[in-house]
Amino acid sequence: MAATDIAIVGWAQTPSVERSTRTEPQLCMEANLAAIAKAGIDRHDIGFTCAGSCDYLTGGPFAFVANLDAAGAWPPIAESHVEMDGAWALYEAWVRIQHGDIDLALVFGSGKSSPSNPLELYPQQLDPYYLEPLGLDPLSIGAIQARALLDAGKATEADFAAAAARSLRDAMSNPNAQASGDHDPADLLKADYVCAPLRAHDVAPVSDGAAAIILATADRARALTDSPVFIRGIDHRIEVHQPGMRDLTSSPSTTAAAKKAGLNGSQIDVAELCALFTSQEVILRDALGLGASTTINPSGGPLGANPVMATGLVRIIEAAQRVADGTAGRALAHVTNGQGLQHNLVCILEGDR
Amino acid sequence: MAEPEAASAIMMDHLVTLTYVEDLPPNTVRFAEGLVDGRIIGEKCPVCARVIVPPKGYCSLDMVLMDSSHELEVSDHGTVTGFTIVAPVKYYGQTKTEPFVYASVLLDGASGTLGGQEIKGLPADKVRDGMRVKAIWKAPAERTTDGQSARGWGSVSGAIDGFESSGEPDVPKDHYKDHII
Repeated sequence: MAATDIAIVGWAQTPSVERSTRTEPQLCMEANLAAIAKAGIDRHDIGFTCAGSCDYLTGGPFAFVANLDAAGAWPPIAESHVEMDGAWALYEAWVRIQHGDIDLALVFGSGKSSPSNPLELYPQQLDPYYLEPLGLDPLSIGAIQARALLDAGKATEADFAAAAARSLRDAMSNPNAQASGDHDPADLLKADYVCAPLRAHDVAPVSDGAAAIILATADRARALTDSPVFIRGIDHRIEVHQPGMRDLTSSPSTTAAAKKAGLNGSQIDVAELCALFTSQEVILRDALGLGASTTINPSGGPLGANPVMATGLVRIIEAAQRVADGTAGRALAHVTNGQGLQHNLVCILEGDR
Repeated sequence: MAEPEAASAIMMDHLVTLTYVEDLPPNTVRFAEGLVDGRIIGEKCPVCARVIVPPKGYCSLDMVLMDSSHELEVSDHGTVTGFTIVAPVKYYGQTKTEPFVYASVLLDGASGTLGGQEIKGLPADKVRDGMRVKAIWKAPAERTTDGQSARGWGSVSGAIDGFESSGEPDVPKDHYKDHII
């Protein structure tokens, strides 16, 4: 059965900041209210709500339940939650709308990382026998991946610096970015390593923030807006948990998801890639077969704003924004989850036709 | 073929400590400062007019963000809407040895109850729904912001040591029937 066409009709994100004094539900409510307003809908018409967040970040057991305060859950609503980036909440809502009995969904993702210490926290998500006792943190895994890429001759540190310079420069025009700046790649390469072979500019900052999207069926979308952004394909694929069992210099799950989502060599004008390290941008470009005709991360990407658990949903928002404003005819959003690009989602967006 | 000898299991302790350092949101800072000052602050929703104590910075029922302009003071007198007599069992961290009462208290002027409030000054079997109570404030110098958090639903425990009878007559059930929890 062919999938029902589903469009993005509203979106919003809070600014990404290093440390917010607002609670996670407060951040979520700001994003949700703005997305609902942009879509021009009555929240009571939403048939399904799905959120993505991680209780460990803010340190509140059942924090995701408190986040429901921001979902307009009165009168009672139908809702679900994923302990994943909000982009997977969007995937669940996309599947839910396929059932055919609802025409609007609210999706949101949120993360308040500032209370925790990511280097201490993240090893807890690894297997408890071999990896977690090592204290293997995302920065170290990112560095191992970058080293493998350099050793394989697939990239140079100058490639990494070029990606950082471009991203940070683009982030200067992103009002929601946490990090931005105009840098000469040659100057960036003079900095010390933070975790060799990665320098500070190679690593996404960690942000507090939230983002939300309103999904609609095609009919409802066309009634709401003249510029609906259609999800032409969406798919996600996963690889084994143990990083040592993978070729870290490639991302076959990204390639597989893109093929299932309908990429198939077609022109992509804008790609928003969830590259948490400059080295991952190199891997993802290769996995998706993106060439010079594709603009990568015009928002600045995760190097500019990385609201963990919403960073992927923001990729979809930034890609949708470019389709809606006519910058891109066809855009791709990539989202990742897990360690070293373990789990990847690809979403292809187009305007109406 | 001989059965292999059962290997003895190797046991390994693996304790995890995670450290969190959080800032209180502005609404909770003002609530905590009010408690230290002897005042209980709530937020009045501009849509449904419910007064939410402790304030969350929003009304979740109407999906409205709120700020200091929505704040007002509620009374430190209230009504017991429901209670549990706890007969403590010994578990790690339990400091109580005698039965005690945890009650829900609907403060005058608030639209929801404070949960888990200890009722003091009378035997557990004398506590009843509809009973009028007043806050037992700590001495001003002893009031702290303990119990405040950016997570969860707030607390008054840093400034209020439970509730006791106010001496007012019990109120009829109609007054609190929507708050029995």
